Amino acid sequence: MPIEVSNLTHTYMKGTTSEVTAISGVSFRIEDGEFVGLIGATGSGKSTLIQHLNGLLRPTSGTVLVDGVDIWSKGVSLKQIRRKIGLVFQYPEQQVFEETVYDDIAFGPRNLGFSQAEVEARVEKACELVGLDKELLPRSPFELSGGQVRRVAIAGILAIQPKVLILDEPTAGLDPKGRMEILDNIKQLHETGMTVILVSHNMDDVARLCERVMVLEKGTLVFDGPAREVFTQREFLYSKQLRPPEVTLLMEKLRQRGWAVRQDVLTVEEAYAEIMKELRKKGVAGAI
Amino acid sequence: MISRGIVVGQYYPVNSLVHSLDPRAKIVISMIFMVVLFVGNNFYSFAVAGTFAVLAVTLSKIPWKVLIRGLRPIVFIMLFTTALHLFLTPGPAIFQIGPLKASWPGLIQGLFIGIRLIILIVFTSLLTLTTSPIELTDGLEDILKPFSRIGVPAHEIAMMMTIALRFIPTLLEEADRIMKAQMSRGADFESGNMIQRAKSLVPLLVPLFVSAFRRADELAMAMEARCYRGGEGRTRMRQLRLSGGDYLALGLTIIMSALVIYTRIRFGPVIPRGTL
Repeated sequence: MPIEVSNLTHTYMKGTTSEVTAISGVSFRIEDGEFVGLIGATGSGKSTLIQHLNGLLRPTSGTVLVDGVDIWSKGVSLKQIRRKIGLVFQYPEQQVFEETVYDDIAFGPRNLGFSQAEVEARVEKACELVGLDKELLPRSPFELSGGQVRRVAIAGILAIQPKVLILDEPTAGLDPKGRMEILDNIKQLHETGMTVILVSHNMDDVARLCERVMVLEKGTLVFDGPAREVFTQREFLYSKQLRPPEVTLLMEKLRQRGWAVRQDVLTVEEAYAEIMKELRKKGVAGAI
Repeated sequence: MISRGIVVGQYYPVNSLVHSLDPRAKIVISMIFMVVLFVGNNFYSFAVAGTFAVLAVTLSKIPWKVLIRGLRPIVFIMLFTTALHLFLTPGPAIFQIGPLKASWPGLIQGLFIGIRLIILIVFTSLLTLTTSPIELTDGLEDILKPFSRIGVPAHEIAMMMTIALRFIPTLLEEADRIMKAQMSRGADFESGNMIQRAKSLVPLLVPLFVSAFRRADELAMAMEARCYRGGEGRTRMRQLRLSGGDYLALGLTIIMSALVIYTRIRFGPVIPRGTL
C-alpha cells in the first residue's frame, strides 16, 4: 500500500493576514515495509505533513495518493483511509478518556463496527504488540504510569490494525527505560511487515531504526535518502538545526585523531565493531 | 489547526485617539452611553447619540466594514423585534396579512427599537475593538476596586478574566489536536443524529477537561513559585493614568447626555402617550 505525495502545499488561514505556508511543494513516495524517519527543526512542518497522510488535513494544493487513489477524490471514505494508516499523535496519552484501559483500546475497533469477539481479539493482539500486561485492562488509564499510558494509546491505534504506522515523537517525555521499550516495540512492528514513519527530534533513535530519512526545513523537503548518507553530512545537518547521532560524531573525532574507522556508523554496536577492529590492528585489543 | 492566528475578543490594533484613551474612561463612557441611549425616547435623542457614536467611530479609525460585520450576528434579533413591534402595536393599519395587521405606530416603534439596537451595538463594540483584553481587565479591576470594601473580589475577577482570555487559543488548539487524534481512531464528529453527536463529544471533552485541570494546577504552581499572593500591594507594569484626552472625552459624554435628556423633555416619546 504505497503512499505517494506529490507537490503537496498547505497554507494555514489562507486568505487572511495571518496566512502561514507550513508545507510547500513536497513530493515523495513511501513503499510497503519501509522504515522512514522524518526529521527537521521545530516548526519545520513535520506534524502538518503527517496529518495529510491519513486525511486529517486537506492539502491546499497537491495530492496524496494511497494505493494509487487520491484520498480527497469523490467516493473515498476517509474512515477507511484512517483504518489503513494509523497515526499516533505526540503525547498520545492525552487522548485517553475511557473508564478502563480495555475500553480505551477498543475505541478504535468499535468505531469501525467490529463484533464483540473481534474487538476483544484485536485488543489482546494490540496489548501483546506493545507489551502491555493484560492485568491492566480492567484498570483506569488514569491510574497508570506515563510509559504505560503511552503504550495504551499506541495500542489504541494498533487495534485498528493499520498497514502503515505513523508516530509523532513517540518517546518524548519518557524515561530512558520507557523510551527503549517503546522503540523496541516499534522495531518489532516493522519486522512484522508494517510500514513505519517515525517523526523524531532524537537523532540517535532515528539513526538506530530508520533506513531512509527525510529532512524538512521550513516546509520543504531538503533531503530524502538513506540514513547513512544524511547522518555523515555534519555541516548540512547543522545548517538545518539538527545534528548527527552521538556515535557518528565520536567516529568523526576518532578519524580526526588519525584512526582509520568508518565514518558512516550509526549505532553503538557498529561503533564497537569498528573500534575493536582498529584496536586489533594496533595490537592493543587483548589489553581490553 | 482552527486556532491559528485567532484574535481573542475582537481588538483591532491601529493607532487612534480612541485607542489611546484610558480603558477606565472608555468603560465608564460606554456605560453612560448605554444608559443614555435608553433614556432617549425619540428620534431627536438618537440623532444626538448617533452623532456622538459616528464621531467616536471616525476618531477610532476602525473601518465601518468591521463594525457592520459585527452587526451581522444580531441582524435576526433586530428583524425579529422590529417585526414584533410592527405587527403587535395597535393603530391605523398599513397592510394586513391574515390576522396580522401592520400598523403605523408599530412601524415607527419598530424602527425606533431597531435604530436603538444598531447604535447600541456599534458603540459598545467600539470598546472591545479599541481596547486590548489586557487593558480592558486592568481598567475593570480599577473600576471594581472601590467595591472590594463590600466584598467584591476585584483583583481576582480581573485575574480570572486575564487567565481565561490567555487560555482560549490554547484550549482551542488542544481541542483541535484531540479531535484529530480521535478521528485517527475512527471517531466521527460529523454525522449521526443529535444524541449520537452529543455522545461523540465524550472522547473530546474528557481529555480536554483532564488537560484543562492539569494546566490549571500547573499554572497555580507556577504563579506561586513566582510569589503570587493576590492583588494586595501588587504594582503594575503599565500604570493607568487619566490624561487631558480622557477628561475631554468624559466631558463630551456628559454634554451628549445632557442633550439627550433635553430632547426627552422637549420632544417627548416617539409615539405620544394616549394615542395607542
